[in-house]
Amino acid sequence: MTEIILQQWQLISTTSWPLLLTLAGFAIGWWIYNRSGRISLLHPLMIATPLIYLTMQIIDLDFAAYDAGNGILNWLLGPATVALAVPLSQQMRQLPALFRPLTLALLLGGLFATLSALLLVKLFGLSDIILLSLAAKSVTSPIALSIVQQIGGLAGLLAVATMVTGLTGIVVSKSLFRFTGLEDERWQGLILGVTAHAIGTAKAFESSSRCGAFATLGMGINGILTAIILPASIKLFII
Amino acid sequence: MKKLFVGLLILVVFQWLGEWAVRLLGLDIPGQLLGMIFLLILLGLNQSLLPWLETASSQLIRYIALLFVPVTTGAFFLGPEILDQLPQILAVLILSTVLAQWFMALIIKAVRGSDD
Repeated sequence: MTEIILQQWQLISTTSWPLLLTLAGFAIGWWIYNRSGRISLLHPLMIATPLIYLTMQIIDLDFAAYDAGNGILNWLLGPATVALAVPLSQQMRQLPALFRPLTLALLLGGLFATLSALLLVKLFGLSDIILLSLAAKSVTSPIALSIVQQIGGLAGLLAVATMVTGLTGIVVSKSLFRFTGLEDERWQGLILGVTAHAIGTAKAFESSSRCGAFATLGMGINGILTAIILPASIKLFII
Repeated sequence: MKKLFVGLLILVVFQWLGEWAVRLLGLDIPGQLLGMIFLLILLGLNQSLLPWLETASSQLIRYIALLFVPVTTGAFFLGPEILDQLPQILAVLILSTVLAQWFMALIIKAVRGSDD
């Protein structure tokens, strides 16, 4: 136990001035995003990260020093993952009535989202490190990051992959629901949560709170299942 | 403010419990995820901690994008061998997302059809 606490303290204690760079970049990103009427493509991360990158080039700051300086933010990702239990437990109450179709759609859908990506990576002949980095792309970012750190992928690539996945999910979903004739907002929410994680869930809440509740459920349970199944089975894909 | 800190402390304790249990049992899952499962089970059995957790958890989730700024900035430092494969990576992500949504819609229609 002391070892775990010590490790976390080391992460927090390296925090220094590069944190200000992050806060400033994020504040600018947040402001532009809200001014734009919250257009997904102008997500605070899309604005903050290139700004920070450019500033780092100008002041000649390397990534290792920047990352260490932001230790407290990296540390907070742990509690933030645990925090997902709160909205999830509030939605779990809806589960029993719809248990069978819900679990089936969730299980198969979550498996398919990951498996299809792994097979496509193989089909396109991409390297193993890319396979390890993309494996968790449809899972909500804090859980996805913990999975990728566990299996040894690249955190930076995963961060981009989850963002692209989420944005694709919300852009495509509207025509897909029309094409397949799926009108029930509960199921629409579930699909958005499983395939497009937090970005899809935010979109689902724009439709209705019921749609958002099912998205939260889909996102949370898919995250848990993937984190349990993936680290043990990923080796099968690396030959 | 007090609720925020107490809530954060509870979350951190559950994270520690998760990481500790993963080490102790030699499990192959992320420690903080096991911590989340522990908290989920506790909240399912007893909700007395819920009022203390609401502020901290909703604030952390609301500003989660801020926590992801350093990791995402790392994407600019991935190096040429990854960037060269970027078009295929984007194709994988877009294709698998569309396929997964379509597949889920088909399952839901099939299962729902047999229920009605």
